Amino acid sequence: MTDNIDFKRYWNKQKIETQTPEELIKKANEFKRKTRFKLIAGNIVLLISCIGISFIWFYYQPEFLTTKIGIIIIMIAILIYVAFQSTLMPLLLKRNLEASAKEQLLQLLQLKEKQRFQQTTLLNGYFFLLSLGLGFYMYEYAVRMTFIWAVLTYGIVLFTIALNTFYFRPKTIRKQQVRLNKLIAQLKNLKEQLTD
Amino acid sequence: MTFEEIHKVYWPKVYRQCMGYMNDHDAAKDITQETFIKVWQHLPKFRNESSIGTWVFRIAVNSCLRQISKDKNMPKSEFPNEIVEEILVNNEPQVEFLYKCISELPEVERIIISLELEELKQKEIAKIVGLTEGNVRVKIHRIKEKLTKKFQKHDRQHRL
Repeated sequence: MTDNIDFKRYWNKQKIETQTPEELIKKANEFKRKTRFKLIAGNIVLLISCIGISFIWFYYQPEFLTTKIGIIIIMIAILIYVAFQSTLMPLLLKRNLEASAKEQLLQLLQLKEKQRFQQTTLLNGYFFLLSLGLGFYMYEYAVRMTFIWAVLTYGIVLFTIALNTFYFRPKTIRKQQVRLNKLIAQLKNLKEQLTD
Repeated sequence: MTFEEIHKVYWPKVYRQCMGYMNDHDAAKDITQETFIKVWQHLPKFRNESSIGTWVFRIAVNSCLRQISKDKNMPKSEFPNEIVEEILVNNEPQVEFLYKCISELPEVERIIISLELEELKQKEIAKIVGLTEGNVRVKIHRIKEKLTKKFQKHDRQHRL
C-alpha cells in the first residue's frame, strides 16, 4: 500500500442518516419547551412547599415564637436553594456560539469548578437550615403532647435528621463530587490537548 | 442563506464530522441534530463575522466536545433498529476502518482531522479549535501519518 492514501475519498463515502428540516424544527421546539419546563418545575415544587408552610402560619396561628422562627428558617432554606438554582441555570445554558472550542472549554471548566464548590456548601447549608427550622417548628406541638409522645415525635424527627445528615447528604454530595471530578478531569485533559 | 439551505449543504458534512468523533450512527445523528437545533435557534442572531460554514462547524465541534459533560446514557435516536443496521452494513470496509481509526484518536485530533477531511482551510480549523495555524498544520501532518501507518498495517494483516 502506498504512503499516499486518499482518505478524503473514503471519508466522503460515509452513509448519512438524515432528517428533514421540518422534523428538526419540531424537535427544536420540543427541546425548548422541555428545557424551560425542567428549569421551572423544581423551583415550583419548592415554592409550593413555601406557600404550604405559610398557610400553616396563617391558618393555625401558632402561638410560640419558636414555631414562627422555625417556619422562617425553613422558608429561608428553600428560598436560598431556589435563588441559587435560578442564578446558576442561565450560566449553564448561556453559551457564546462564536467562541472557539478552547475558549468554550475553559468557560465550562470554570463553571464546573465553581459548581463543585457551591454544590457542597449549598447542600450543607440547605440540610442544616431545614433541620434547624423543623426542630424549632415542632417545639410548640411537642410541648402540648404527653411526655412519651413528645419524646417519640422528637425521636423520630431527630432520627430523620440524623439519617439525612449522616447518610443521604454525604451520599448525594459524594455522588455529585464523583461525577463532577470525573468531568473536570476529562475537561482538563481536553484543555491539555488544546495547548499550543 | 435560509435554514433549509444550510441544512441541505451542511447536514452531511456535520454528520460525517460527528461520525469521525463518535463512530456510532445513533450518537452522530443525535449530535448532528443537536447542532442543527442550535443553528436554527441562533440563525437570526448570526452576525457575518465568520463564514456560515465555520459557524456551523464551530457549533458542531463544541457539541461534540460537550458530549463528555453529559451522562453516558445519552438519548438514542428514535430510529427503529432495523433501519440503522441496514445502513451500517452498507459501508465499504475501508470506510468503516477509516472512521474506526479516527474515533480512536484523542478528542482534539479527531476534530482536526475531520475538519481537514471536510476540506476546511487550516486557518479556519485553527479558529474553530483555538490553536495556532502552524500547530494545526503540524497536527494534521502527524495524524495523517498515524492513519497511514494504521492503514498499511491493516492492509498487511488482511493480505496474509
